[in-house]
Amino acid sequence: MVDPTKQKILIIEDDRALQSAMVEMLSQEGYETTSAYDGEEGARKAQAEKPDLILLDLILPKKDGYEVLAEIKKGPNKNIPVLILTNLEEIENVQKALDLGAKTFMVKSDYSLRDIIEKIKENFQK
Amino acid sequence: MFAKFLDDFRFITRCKKYGLGLWQCPNFLFLVMGMIAIAAMVGTFFVSSRFASEGVTVMSVTLEVVFIMIIGSSVIRGVEKVAEANIMKTEFISIISHQMCSPLSAIKWNMEVIETERDPKECLPEKQVVFLQNIKKSNEQMLKMVSDLLEVARIDQGKSIFEEKIFDLAELVKDSVAGFRSMAAENNIEIDSQIEPVSQKVCGDERKIRVVLDNLISNAIKYSKENERVEVRLKKEDEKIVFSVQDWGVGIPHYQHSKIFEKFFRSKNEFRYRTEGVGIGLYLAKAILKHCGGKVWFESEAEKGSTFYFSLPAVD
Repeated sequence: MVDPTKQKILIIEDDRALQSAMVEMLSQEGYETTSAYDGEEGARKAQAEKPDLILLDLILPKKDGYEVLAEIKKGPNKNIPVLILTNLEEIENVQKALDLGAKTFMVKSDYSLRDIIEKIKENFQK
Repeated sequence: MFAKFLDDFRFITRCKKYGLGLWQCPNFLFLVMGMIAIAAMVGTFFVSSRFASEGVTVMSVTLEVVFIMIIGSSVIRGVEKVAEANIMKTEFISIISHQMCSPLSAIKWNMEVIETERDPKECLPEKQVVFLQNIKKSNEQMLKMVSDLLEVARIDQGKSIFEEKIFDLAELVKDSVAGFRSMAAENNIEIDSQIEPVSQKVCGDERKIRVVLDNLISNAIKYSKENERVEVRLKKEDEKIVFSVQDWGVGIPHYQHSKIFEKFFRSKNEFRYRTEGVGIGLYLAKAILKHCGGKVWFESEAEKGSTFYFSLPAVD
């Protein structure tokens, strides 16, 4: 079992209400969190802060989620698992994100915060 | 000329992408009508040049051209408007629904934080706990409606993802029924379930089949009269697993039977104004089951109630 207190999670999400709920819940679980509110900030923090896992939205200002994902996967931190958390469930979106190297694809309206934490735990246990 | 042809072709593929048939596509219709018109003019020319004078030939061909142009252009314009409206409707639903997902998810997640942080019953007056539960329930309803709308748009555009997995339908039915117990109790309706204790394994998208079950069971409850019961049955017949849900509620009048699986159709019976919904539950159920190799049907009589069935191939 991995100690969650040692894991840092980067949340790239422009909706502040969603972002703050995620930060709160993950902190309660003992994870360290860091937030980015647009694609550029997200890509920068993914390089600079070296998180253990990234939660990434696809529709983002300045740079969309695919660009951020492609940038991460080309850079030195390409092994950081990226979990997509979005509202786009169309087949081409899922395929594109998985082809670019995303680990999992989650649709916000279908997932509770509990379910997301389960997915994160599963990822760390692998 | 070539650019115009390419543009026509693009419009045809766009119509097909949005689930419109070839005959509903104005550009295809234009090509077909154009060919028919040329054939008719050539025919008229040959026939009248053989049997009539030159003046009559010229006049009949001219009249035919004018006639075809007037009728053809009005038909094509009409079809064009319908096709464009259809495409716009699908796009509009998809955009609005996507835009609604974020704020609705935000309400759901923030409610979850409130509930997890501390037991609301301990730190809030009883009245406010009730209001919080109301918010949560409305939020769930709204999310369900939006995700059903999005699923319809995705299925219409062929963009939906169907996972194939073997799972136990009996467990899924039990789960769905359990989820509706409180909704039924609120209306003094009892849910009876008779699940045959044999292997009820099927193959398909479990999450989507759950949507079908939820839609059929919630319809049965919504259209039941008070103090009635709803009966859910699941059994194996030949090589199929057959689910059914029966209610003794308002039923569907015969003349509306053929429309029941149409998109946005809502039965015009007396309970219409007492129930929520947008009329996509059964359309969605039919589309999902078709994709999973199953089918859906029903028996219903006005004022006596309805039974909705679906079957899926059994997997051993």
